[in-house]
This record gives sequence, C-alpha cells and structure tokens, in this order.
Amino acid sequence: MAAPLTLLLIVAVTIRAVLFRSSLAELISERVEVVSPLNAWKRVVEGLALLDLGVSPYSGDVFHETPLMIYLFHFTVDYAEIVFMVSPYFVDCLSCFLAPLDRFRKQKYALESDRYPADCLELLRSPKEMFYIPLKVAMFYLLNPFTILSCVAKSTCGLNNAIIALFIFCTLKGSALLSGILLALATYQSIYPLTLFAPALLFFLQRLYIPVNLRRSSFWFFTLQYAFIYVGSLVVITGLSFFLLGSWDFIPSVYGFIFSVPDLTPNIGLFWYFFAEMFEHFRLFFICVFQINVFFYTIPLSIKLKEHPVFLIFMQIAIISIFKSYPTVGDVALYMAFLPAWSHLYRFLRNIFLVSCVLLACSALFPVLWHLWIYAGSANSNFYYAITLLFNFGQILLVSDYFYAYLRREHHLIHGLYLKKKDGTEATLVLK
Amino acid sequence: MGYYSLLTTCAFIHLLVFMPYAYSNYLENKAGQFFSSGHTNNWAVLVSLNKLGFWFNYRHVANTLSVYRSVKRLGIPDSHIVLMLADDMACNYRNPKPATVFSHKNMELNVYGDDVEVDYRGYEVTVENFLRVLTGRLPPSTPRSKRLLSDDRSNILIYLTGHGGNGFLKFQDSEEISNMELADAFEQMWQKRRYNELLFIIDTCQGASMYERFYSPNLMALASSQVGEDSLSHQPDLAIGVHLMDKYTFYLLEFLEEVHPASQANMNDLFKVCPQSQCVSTPGHRTDLFQRNPGSVLITDFFGSVRKVEITKDTINLTSSVKPPIQRSGSSDMTIESLTYVDQLPVAEIIHQKPKQKDWHPPDGFILGLWTLILLVFFQTYGIKHLKHIF
Repeated sequence: MAAPLTLLLIVAVTIRAVLFRSSLAELISERVEVVSPLNAWKRVVEGLALLDLGVSPYSGDVFHETPLMIYLFHFTVDYAEIVFMVSPYFVDCLSCFLAPLDRFRKQKYALESDRYPADCLELLRSPKEMFYIPLKVAMFYLLNPFTILSCVAKSTCGLNNAIIALFIFCTLKGSALLSGILLALATYQSIYPLTLFAPALLFFLQRLYIPVNLRRSSFWFFTLQYAFIYVGSLVVITGLSFFLLGSWDFIPSVYGFIFSVPDLTPNIGLFWYFFAEMFEHFRLFFICVFQINVFFYTIPLSIKLKEHPVFLIFMQIAIISIFKSYPTVGDVALYMAFLPAWSHLYRFLRNIFLVSCVLLACSALFPVLWHLWIYAGSANSNFYYAITLLFNFGQILLVSDYFYAYLRREHHLIHGLYLKKKDGTEATLVLK
Repeated sequence: MGYYSLLTTCAFIHLLVFMPYAYSNYLENKAGQFFSSGHTNNWAVLVSLNKLGFWFNYRHVANTLSVYRSVKRLGIPDSHIVLMLADDMACNYRNPKPATVFSHKNMELNVYGDDVEVDYRGYEVTVENFLRVLTGRLPPSTPRSKRLLSDDRSNILIYLTGHGGNGFLKFQDSEEISNMELADAFEQMWQKRRYNELLFIIDTCQGASMYERFYSPNLMALASSQVGEDSLSHQPDLAIGVHLMDKYTFYLLEFLEEVHPASQANMNDLFKVCPQSQCVSTPGHRTDLFQRNPGSVLITDFFGSVRKVEITKDTINLTSSVKPPIQRSGSSDMTIESLTYVDQLPVAEIIHQKPKQKDWHPPDGFILGLWTLILLVFFQTYGIKHLKHIF
C-alpha cells in the first residue's frame, strides 16, 4: 500500500514539475475554465503588490481572496509552486481514512447481516475490494487532468479543496472540534461549504449513536455544541482577518462578490450568460434564485440520506461545484476524486457511458469554442454557453445517477437483490 | 456752358488723380480678401458604407462616386481625395454595363469615369480605418494616397452614405460607428489642428442623429433626413435592375453640376437642395459650431480647390499687416504656442532616489493571535500531555 502510493506521488510531482517549467504554464493560468476571478493567481500577485504599495488590496475589483490567504501568500509567494503542489496531497490523507470508514460500516453490516436476505451478500463489499480504494481515490485526484491544470495554473481552488478534504478527514476521524474549525475555515474561504454542516452533524450523531429525533434533548445538545464550535470559530477567524488589515473591506469584496456576481467573465458555470442578458430590474431576484438553488438541496437530501452522511457529503460537494457562482475545473476534480469510494455502485449506474462521453467531449470542446468565439470570431458566446450547459448537464446526470444507484443498493439490501412482483415476474425499480 | 465743361474737366482730373490710389486700395482690399478665407488647401474624404457583396447597394457607390466626380471637376486632385468604396460595383458580375456606374436612369451620366482612384476598397473600409484616416494615426507603412495629410489651413469635405440608424452608422454590415465616436474623432482632429473648417454631409437613414453630438468648432453638417425618417432612394433603372441613387444625393448632384469653379453659390443654396417635396425626408443642417455666416461660405470653399489668383501688373506694398476682416470669436485655441525644448532635469533630481518602499508585514498582534489559536487547537485535539514533553 505504501509503495504504490509513493510511486503515485512521484509520478504526480513529476507531471506537475514538468508542466510548471514548460511554456504551457502561462497558457493554462489564463484559461477561464481553470481560473476564475475568485481564485486566479495573477489576482493574488496583484493584491500583494497593491499591499506593498500601501493600498488596501480590496480597493478596485481585482483581489477577492480572504485575508488569511494574504497572510499565507505573503510569506510563500516565491515558493508558490511548492505550496500548490503540496495541497493536493491533503486530499490523499482523506483517502487513507476512507478504509476505516468502510470498516466501520462493515462492522455494522456484519452485525445486521443476518437480517439481510441471502442473495444480498454479494452487494456487500469485502475488505479485499476495499483495500485499494484509498489508492484509487488518490490516483483519481492526483492524476486527474483537471487537478493538474488547476495546480499548474496556481489557482487557489487547490487550497480550498485541501481545506475541504481536511475537513472531511477530521469528520471521519471523529474529532468534532477540528471538524468544526475546518468547516469554519472552508466556509470562510467561500461561503458554499456552509451546506456541509448538515452532513457533518449527521455523521457525528450517527457515530455517537444519538438518534436524529427533533424531540430528544441529546440531539439538540450535540447540535448546539457543534454549531457553537462552528459559529464560534467562524467569528474568531473573521475577527482575526479584521485585525490583519484593520478594516472590514474584505467582507464586501469577498462575500459580496460571491453573492452578487458582479463579474461576468465566462467560466464553466451557469451564472455568467444568464446575468449578461439580465435586465437590472430583475437582477436581484434572479441572483437570489440562483444562490438559493445551491443551498436548497441540503434539507431534502439530508432527510433522505440521514443514515448515510458520507454519501451526503459527496452529493453536497458535487452540488456546490455545479451550482456555485464561479466554478472551475478544480471544484469538479474534488468530487470526482470520491467516485472510486463508490465503485460498488457501478452495477446500478445507468448512464455512465453517456455521462463520461458528455464530460469528455465538453472538456475537449471548451478550448475549441473559446478559440472560435474570441480569436477566430466565427462563433459567439452562445456556442460556449451551450457547452457550459452540456457540461453541467453531464455533471448533474452523474450526480443523480450515483444517487439513484446508492438508493437502489440500499433498497436491495433491505428487500433482496432479485425483486419479484406479486405474480412472480421480474420487477424494475424506478426512482421517483 | 463753360461751367458745365469746367465741372466735367474737374471731375475728370479728380478721377485721374484718385483712380490709381483707389485702384491700389482696391488691390489691397483684394489682397486682404486673399488671406481672409483662412484655408489654403482642400481635402475630401468620401466613404460608401455598403456591405461588400450586396448588389442592391449600388446606389451608395453611385452616391459617393457622384460627389467624387463633382469634387474632382471643381478642382480637388486625387492626391487630396480619400475615396473609400466598400464594393466594386463597376466590375461586379451583376453589372450589365461593366466599368460603369450610372447616376441617372437611361444611363445618362456615368459617374465612374476614366480616372477614378479608389484608396480604400472592399474589406479595407472599416470603422478603424475610417477613424485612423481622420485622426491621422496610421502605421508608418501606409502610403500617402491612403492618408489624410491635412493641416490647420485645410478645408475638409466629409461625405458618408450607406445604412444608418439613430445615432450610429453601419460599416460592412458587421460594425457600427456611433455619433459620439465621430464627434470625438472630429475633436481629435481639431486638437491636432488637422482642419480649418469641415463640412460633413451624410446621406443615410436618420442621418441628422450623426451630427447631433458634434462639439468641435468650425464644423458644418448636412444630413439627408431627420431622426425617425428614412432616406429614400431615387429612381431604378430597368436595365441595371437596381435603384441608382438616393434622392438627396441625386438632387445634390444636380445642384453641383451647375456649380463651376468661379461660381459664387453659397451654403444657403446648398441647404435648400432637396426640400421635402422632392425628397420625402426632411434634410437637416447644423451651423451653430461654424464661425462664419453660412451665406458667406462659398460652395467651392469645400467642394472645389479654388485658388485665388489675381493677375495684376501693379506692385502692391504689403507693408501693413493685413488684418483678417473676419473676427474669430470664441476661445483662443487657435493661438499656437511657440515651441521650445523642454527644460533638462536638474541633476539633483536625477540622482535623488526614492526611498525604498517598505514591504507590507502583517501586524504582530495578528500573527500572535493566529498562532496562539493554532497551538490551542493542536493541544486540544492531541491532549495536554504533549506539553510535558516540550517543557
């Protein structure tokens, strides 16, 4: 296990080092699919230069990083490449702990296996299968072209991913304090990880065997504790950021920017085209609609998946990276890294061929249509937007497919693998 | 009888004595007039804004060529004309009479002529090229025939025809120029002293909107239609199959055909060309930015390159400075400052270095607070027992 992992690390480092030193680094760091106004490296450099000149980096619409990022990069701006190469490895830590998670679940199932129908045993995973999952997760993240592009472009999306991965790691390990603090840090970076509060809470409740019952005081007690840790650390971090620069400028510049989407540079998301053609009169309304769309799925999904918080985390991260206001391929890479953890769902996936074709084709077409639109002038923004739509459609289809597969597996575990209708013919399962 | 003859001889002697003096006065007045009108050379920029490849826009090319023909006839040479035609109608494969462009039906008048010189053709007629020609900001490799080499004593005629709307003109069906851009271009020309007076004629739909935004001095503008009106085309020719000219330019051409280099027709006559009864649209004009009275401005001041030549065998003493009879009201922008070299920097200023900028450092309180918190969290998660190993 250690040897393949080390080999993988060496290969990943080599690829990134080679790309850093080549001429492609410049090209990649300007691509709109890889960097967004929120996490572009040249904006970080610009903000630090402004700071050196004695001006607040948030003046003007250039810099949208949080003050803690300023602090981090102030000392490491010359070694930025190393920082960005190190950050994906945090995601690996996560992968190493997916195995014990499944051991935990396996134990639960072993206790209850006599409750399951006999033909379901093939659905359960054996430790042998699960042995290689951490390696696969690491491979999926480190060797994912999206991650490599994001890293070579020195987009701070890699650091955001690292924080979210560390948060998941601490959650799975069971440390509520660290998990709350890291979630606060992730929310502080970009507001959307707020929705991960619910799955983390559910995970802790499950782990501590507290039933999710709104009338029980133990539920509220733990919820309040966790919320207190989370909100408290968020307040502390925000206060610290105030002391860094001595002003509250960063709040409208970072959070106001994320929410009100003033910059309509094209990216792989859905906001830019819509708001480019939106009249001012309706803009506020549709901003609210779009932003609510990100947070909206938390409660229904939490209700449905309350016994499966780890899958809920995956779904939430996927939804965030599809519907956030400035997505980049780095966000996509984060939830794609989790897919090997659910490789046992493969037999229930229905659209995997379509989804992989769509995602591959769109990834290839993004730079082509960008070139046709901006440089050749023979296409227009509609072409690029069409591919954006298709890409997001593919992502949504992937996520919903995995959701269906997960629920179907759970259904089979309870009701048996080969379902029969009352008259004995084979039945089909439909997700409604 | 004797009284009568005495009177006549006195008058005769009077006339004889004073006539040379009167004549030299007359000559001095003429010399004063010689330098009075203010311009010494004429330029013309004639642009046809149709889209390349549309045979129906024959009339725009015919419009431009008819103005070109008049301007050449009245004396402006090709070297002083920048002709921008977006399409080659004379050699279009749909032209039943190749190498001709007619302005009157029944092929009465071929405005293409034998010696037309087109400076910008086809795809070269773009907004960028047009503005570069006007402002003179062309790359060094541009030949002289493609440049507007006017100076502050040039009267320029600018004629545009094509398709337009309220506040904009279409170039090549894919670009637009707005009235504000045009006004700014003229202001640039004024600031760079690229014209003395400028006459702007436009024959498009809603043409009057294009001169609404002018704000530079010495501009006079004419348009074929007001805002909200369309400029209409004149007569089709059944053999060629398209409309040959636009109404306004057709009547403008008819008017200009009567003008010859010595004619005293002035701008007020030009404003009367094509009234609404003939043109259906209402032509408009704008003279508030123009310093002189339009009635005193000759057509040939803009359309022709008339050189004032007075042949005299008498000598004239130009000892007194000839005051221009027209007082130019307005700001003294016209005074040209004498050129001097910039003062060299004093040495002390060169040697004096700016103090090295201090890099920004995060405040100490922040660093202290942050690391204290990190340490606290670390010990909280991993237990207090580790402290023993440190101390």
